[in-house]
Amino acid sequence: MASLKEVRNRITSISSTQQITSAMKMVSAAKLRRAQEAITQMRPYAKKLREILENLSASLDSNDGTFSKERPVKNVLLIVVTSNRGLAGAFNANIIKRAVALAKNEYKAYNVTVLCIGKKGNDFFRRTEFKIIGSDMPRKLNELFDKLTYDNVAPVAEKIMEVYAKGEFDKIDIIYNQFKNAAVQIPTVEQFLPVVATKTEGKSSKVDYIFEPSKEEIVKDLIPRSLKTQIYKALLDSHAAEHGARMTAMHKATDNAKDLLRELKLSYNKARQASITNEILEIVGGAEALNG
Amino acid sequence: MFLEIITPDKKLFSGEVKSIVLPGTDGKFGILNHHAPIISSLKKGTVKVTDTVEKTQNFEIKGGVVEMLNNQVIILAE
Repeated sequence: MASLKEVRNRITSISSTQQITSAMKMVSAAKLRRAQEAITQMRPYAKKLREILENLSASLDSNDGTFSKERPVKNVLLIVVTSNRGLAGAFNANIIKRAVALAKNEYKAYNVTVLCIGKKGNDFFRRTEFKIIGSDMPRKLNELFDKLTYDNVAPVAEKIMEVYAKGEFDKIDIIYNQFKNAAVQIPTVEQFLPVVATKTEGKSSKVDYIFEPSKEEIVKDLIPRSLKTQIYKALLDSHAAEHGARMTAMHKATDNAKDLLRELKLSYNKARQASITNEILEIVGGAEALNG
Repeated sequence: MFLEIITPDKKLFSGEVKSIVLPGTDGKFGILNHHAPIISSLKKGTVKVTDTVEKTQNFEIKGGVVEMLNNQVIILAE
């Protein structure tokens, strides 16, 4: 059995670990709430934008725009959204696994390039043979999560669209953790470019709108906007999912620490009792010897 | 008429108004009560809102789109 001192040391170290994990859990819970609020703020905007776009494209087949035209695929760009920090369970591993699987199976025949948003993905892909881009972005990609606003994300999205328009890539996918609830994140692959045709659910409105300047112009103006919103939404989702994942991971860690502590306390008390019993035995033995 | 100005980050304005002046792509234009349904793209500029008590408010936008339907105006701004 471990000595008393050893057990006592372990108890102290585990309880301080427990304090850290439970503090991290609280911090993540607070950040998660804020991240969720940001998603709710953004939802009406995205919904309305999609409505207008569906409305317009129903009466217009614009399959010849720069962003909606399908090109023969040769070069593929994967936008991998991970977090900057670890200790979030399988949050980053899931995304990385998914991205690698995609590159090695479905996109085996193409040239795959990776663009990482978030340090963890970057750290991983730096050690692989994949080509990485993104160092020339108008905003530092890893700092996006420090201040996640639309104004910060938009220039990055514009840059990605520009690279696509120039023809450097023929297909761009974005891989991120979709936020379902605090405990569940869904690793999601979404096609970013070319634009996936919006499905109209057969209820194109009968309203006779006036279009200024013209339908075509408005669509041309709206598509980049909706693309920016798509990236922004992916980042918001991933941000909220990260805090959710970390909260769950830290909750589990705190629980595990609690279990460990209970076991250690038990063995500590056993050891303590054993040593007391020993002492008593010795004293009694000594007294007996004197009396005898 | 009822006006909402929404950005991806937050709701800038929501309420009953009398008139709106917008920076349309092809030039400034105004919307009054019971305007016909319209969808227009907007460029960088100022949205001028006059509410029911004749108070004006200005909002700077970097671009966007406006939709008017059934006396409800929604501006998606950036």
